[in-house]
Amino acid sequence: MPDGLWDTAEIPEGVVANWFYADGGEVPKGATVAEITVEKTSYDIEAPEGGRLKIVVPKDGVVLPGTVIGKIGDG
Amino acid sequence: MASDRVLTVSRAMAEAIGQEMRADPNVFVMGEDIGAYGGIFAATQGLLEEFGEERVRDTPISETAFIGAGVGAAMSGMRPIVELMFVDFFGVCMDAIYNMAAKNIYFSGGNFKVPMVLMTATGGGYSDAGQHSQTLHATFAHIPGLKVVAPSNAYDAKGLMISAIRDDSPVLYMFHKGLQGLVWMASPEGAAAVVPEDSYTIPFGQAKIVRPGKDVTIVTLSMMVHRALEAAEMLAKEGIDAEVIDLRTLVPLDRQTVLQSVAKTGRLVVVDEDYQSYGVTAEIIASVAETDPTMLKAAPRRVAYPDIPIPYSRPMEQFALPNAGKVADAVRETLDLKKAA
Amino acid sequence: MAPTKDQLLWMYAAMAKARYYEDTMAAAYMEGKAPKFDIGAGTVPGEMHLAAGQEPCAAGVCVHLRPDDAVTATHRPHHVAIAKGVDLNKMTAEIFGKKTGLAGGRGGHMHLLDPKVNFSCSGIIGESAGPAVGAALAGGMAGRDSVAVAYLGEGAANQGAFHEALNLAALWTLPVVFVIEDNAWGISVHKAKSTAVKDNSVRAKGYGMPGAYIANNDTLKIFDAAGKAVKRARAGKGPSLIEIETYRYYGHFQGDPEAYRPEGEVEKLKAKDPIEKLRKHMIKKGGVSKADADDALEAAKAEVDAAFAFARESAYPAPREALDHVFA
Repeated sequence: MPDGLWDTAEIPEGVVANWFYADGGEVPKGATVAEITVEKTSYDIEAPEGGRLKIVVPKDGVVLPGTVIGKIGDG
Repeated sequence: MASDRVLTVSRAMAEAIGQEMRADPNVFVMGEDIGAYGGIFAATQGLLEEFGEERVRDTPISETAFIGAGVGAAMSGMRPIVELMFVDFFGVCMDAIYNMAAKNIYFSGGNFKVPMVLMTATGGGYSDAGQHSQTLHATFAHIPGLKVVAPSNAYDAKGLMISAIRDDSPVLYMFHKGLQGLVWMASPEGAAAVVPEDSYTIPFGQAKIVRPGKDVTIVTLSMMVHRALEAAEMLAKEGIDAEVIDLRTLVPLDRQTVLQSVAKTGRLVVVDEDYQSYGVTAEIIASVAETDPTMLKAAPRRVAYPDIPIPYSRPMEQFALPNAGKVADAVRETLDLKKAA
Repeated sequence: MAPTKDQLLWMYAAMAKARYYEDTMAAAYMEGKAPKFDIGAGTVPGEMHLAAGQEPCAAGVCVHLRPDDAVTATHRPHHVAIAKGVDLNKMTAEIFGKKTGLAGGRGGHMHLLDPKVNFSCSGIIGESAGPAVGAALAGGMAGRDSVAVAYLGEGAANQGAFHEALNLAALWTLPVVFVIEDNAWGISVHKAKSTAVKDNSVRAKGYGMPGAYIANNDTLKIFDAAGKAVKRARAGKGPSLIEIETYRYYGHFQGDPEAYRPEGEVEKLKAKDPIEKLRKHMIKKGGVSKADADDALEAAKAEVDAAFAFARESAYPAPREALDHVFA
């Protein structure tokens, strides 16, 4: 079952600053998988589950709260 | 199980420092804004939280005092990692670096160790003007008694940092701002890399052939490794096969790898973001010439910063900065080909 | 020492001009840097250090100065440059990297130099001190009664160059005024965590000169202390140190996440805006009419708008011009 990762940032838009695993890479649960910047502040996003990563929003992509930036799961 | 985890250079540096601090209570960090801020260039992110104020110390703006203190602490059994925020600031504190850190092992006949790491940010290209954009590799490589390292990517960054911390001699760790992977400054694709989670070292004095080739040898370090690789891509389309060597460390310098490569290709281009005259590019060429100038089928070429203070205005700065196009042109010159239109 | 009506109006205009300038620059700086902030991108690339909030430090001191008095400043120079009378068009063009700038675009925002009004600045902390001592020395050698003012931050008071310059100025009885803009933050480090003494004016005594500490960004008190220091210097009695408690409304640099700032600090500081305070005072007690105050404000804004327009319309230098002016 794919697991969604979503933005926990504040009101304005943010940017995906870095991905720490490649698309298709194996991500352990709890690992820091991406970095988002919102209004000059950076937030590390942790993988809520372990599994294969599918990147939905690539590096430098703009995000809003609730945007799914990636999925972790099987298949 | 090998991990696919990618780190930015800054995170790789912070991870290296954190691992060594966990392993050895004598390792501590000091510098400006390296505590809560995590370092202006993110080299110490997360460390204050884990290790506290005693071992992760924000200092006043007093480089002479705290770098001098680093030397003294290193001579008194500690293993300090000191940050000089911008390499350009060395002017205010050079004595502690070049007259004390670099010479006290020698002055004591080897009886004192100086296990200090001085890490500092180099480089420009983002309009930070003449006092915040310098690279200064040669200024420090020129001083006997200082080891000098400059990683081009996150994998090397972690290994070189761990080696630096474990070294009993003073090491100047020069990291390029544009390679850090900062959220507020663009960095090239190849800077972030897969970085193993465990501790590992990279020995000093071992250059790396990051792109094997047969037609020309391009020798470089730090940010310019990425420009050289871009140039190599451009040249490959023209049927020119460039070998790119990442020096990784300036002191000790791996001349062997350079000589072996030039013996193979016969052509040499050296690239450095530091000022051209009296620098790294000259040192590499001299090393080849004094070993066997007949290895060279053509005059060697250097692509470096012109001998001018770094200009602020973007068109002028970009004119001066070494880039992939200039590297490719230099390669074509060694092959007696016309420059690209 | 209390300001005359003209001096009040002059200071108000200088401060209003500086504030409007910094606010305008803040907006211009963000052009081309959103949604992803890339420091090298946009209309005004590179670093930017704005001084909104610190205007009294510039106006309250420079009101006493002549064009032949030298002023050296820091990486946060705009308000001081404005108060010193640096050509606003050329200054703005310089910050935009244009050919019509003070240095044809070679220096940028941290390196604004104008010999016409003897103004220069440096991006290296503490390096404003030595050259001010030198300018004072030169003035004396040439038989002038000019003074030199060095601006520094409270962080610079812990840098070697500061201490050496103070001693030298006192030793040689030079006409220097050292002005410390204490905005409490050295990037992320509070003064309480960087400085062994609470207020740097006590260090003045240790260097053989009088020191004054001005609390609360008070323009009139700054005027008074600076007036006395400049008078003392011009009379050949030697240097002084003034530390001013001031505040910066923006971050250390634009893009600074300011996580180190306590919640609500900036709002509290904005509530005691020194420009509003001065305006109220000069109208109520200084004999300045509301109309004159409004005119001064409008004129200041117009000058800033014209300077930004000039900068935007000016051409960039040719790339090859990077090679010029390395030597005299």
